[in-house]
Amino acid sequence: MSAWRRAIDDALWGPEPGRRVLFVQTALAALIGLRVALGSYRQLADTPGPLFDPVPILAWAPSMPPAWGFVALQVVGATAAVLAVLHRWPRATFAVAWLCYLVLAGLRGSRGKVLHNDLLLLWTAVPFLLAPVALRWSDRRPRRDHGWPLRAATVIAAAIYFLAGYHKLRRSGLDWAIGDNVRYVMLWGPSVGAAKWDAMATWVGENLWASKATGTFILGFELTFPIVLVKRWLQPAYALVAVALHVTTWLFLGLDYWAWALTVLVVFVDWPALADRMRGSAAPSG
Amino acid sequence: MSDPVRVPPEEQIPTGGRRLVLGALALLLTAGLIGFEAWPLTAWRLFSLSRGDRQTMWVLHATTPEDPARVVDLEELPLRYRHAAWPMAGLPRASDERRDDVCRALLGPSLEVVPDLTELRIVRDRQRLVERAGEWVVEHDPEPLHACGPEAP
Repeated sequence: MSAWRRAIDDALWGPEPGRRVLFVQTALAALIGLRVALGSYRQLADTPGPLFDPVPILAWAPSMPPAWGFVALQVVGATAAVLAVLHRWPRATFAVAWLCYLVLAGLRGSRGKVLHNDLLLLWTAVPFLLAPVALRWSDRRPRRDHGWPLRAATVIAAAIYFLAGYHKLRRSGLDWAIGDNVRYVMLWGPSVGAAKWDAMATWVGENLWASKATGTFILGFELTFPIVLVKRWLQPAYALVAVALHVTTWLFLGLDYWAWALTVLVVFVDWPALADRMRGSAAPSG
Repeated sequence: MSDPVRVPPEEQIPTGGRRLVLGALALLLTAGLIGFEAWPLTAWRLFSLSRGDRQTMWVLHATTPEDPARVVDLEELPLRYRHAAWPMAGLPRASDERRDDVCRALLGPSLEVVPDLTELRIVRDRQRLVERAGEWVVEHDPEPLHACGPEAP
């Protein structure tokens, strides 16, 4: 077997401990539940017809649902997410929660603007729709039949970050990073909403070295993200950088990407192993 | 497809799982690499277009007895109207009827914010960012596209 094929096979279908997969499945269900329960969906009810532009999967919808329709989707989705977190009928409840989230996020994006805020979580959750249901917190031995949903989710997340960088390069070239682009992104501010730390955004915009360094760092980070699929020890570091990127995007541009930040932390950090290490180091010696 | 790695039979990955993952990846990569939008399939064009000192914005101007061009910020309107700039951006290619529909859809909430409004205009604003005396200011070049107003009593 070629090295390439072996690497792809390991990235997609490699072994993971059942408890880590169970943790990620549970955490993704919790995140979906939070997005479903806390999202500002009801306020979209009664959107006038001329401003309603349904996304393709909702093309059949004649209009935004009434407020009670949003509430019903939120109640069903959040309840299913709670049941999935509790591992009750895990496959069915995870699927129901995911489907409600898909519809709610799709409705939010049915106002003409392509919204990406929910897409990382939605896409990385896809492999868990068919994840094994017999996982236990005591499953410490890495197995392929346990690990594939998590491995596939990491591939999907890495592909998404790479594609974001790829399109920057394709549409704007290296100028995106080393030209005046980031400077003007910061100075113009967001087209929707408001920056939370306007003064810092202006400072980056006014200091060309800072805006070029920021652009180069972001583009380099996104384009090199897939390296974490072969150098797995880099995953926590890339997850932390992604969190920093999404937090600064919120501070400088006011854009809500907390679902992305938490999703990368859940998927790319081995929290059960980290908890073991912390317990080990906290335990009295001798 | 046969497993390229020797795997114990009890660790075989279910066919359904393989198909789901490969199907999802095929869809994700096709949309992402070709670059088309069919949400949740997307080209992931997050901030991908390089910005410069000029931009075109779609805004609302209201005529009031005191101000002939009072800007109605979409952020002042309820959440359901805050992305109205995107439907407005499609209006240059749209019929008069469609333009009027969009204008009237925004008239009601604009009247809540500017009660003495006599006319609402959808405006293409070509903006330029310039530095003057150490301050960044936006120069505006507004071009009204369509207007509508409250019905006469």
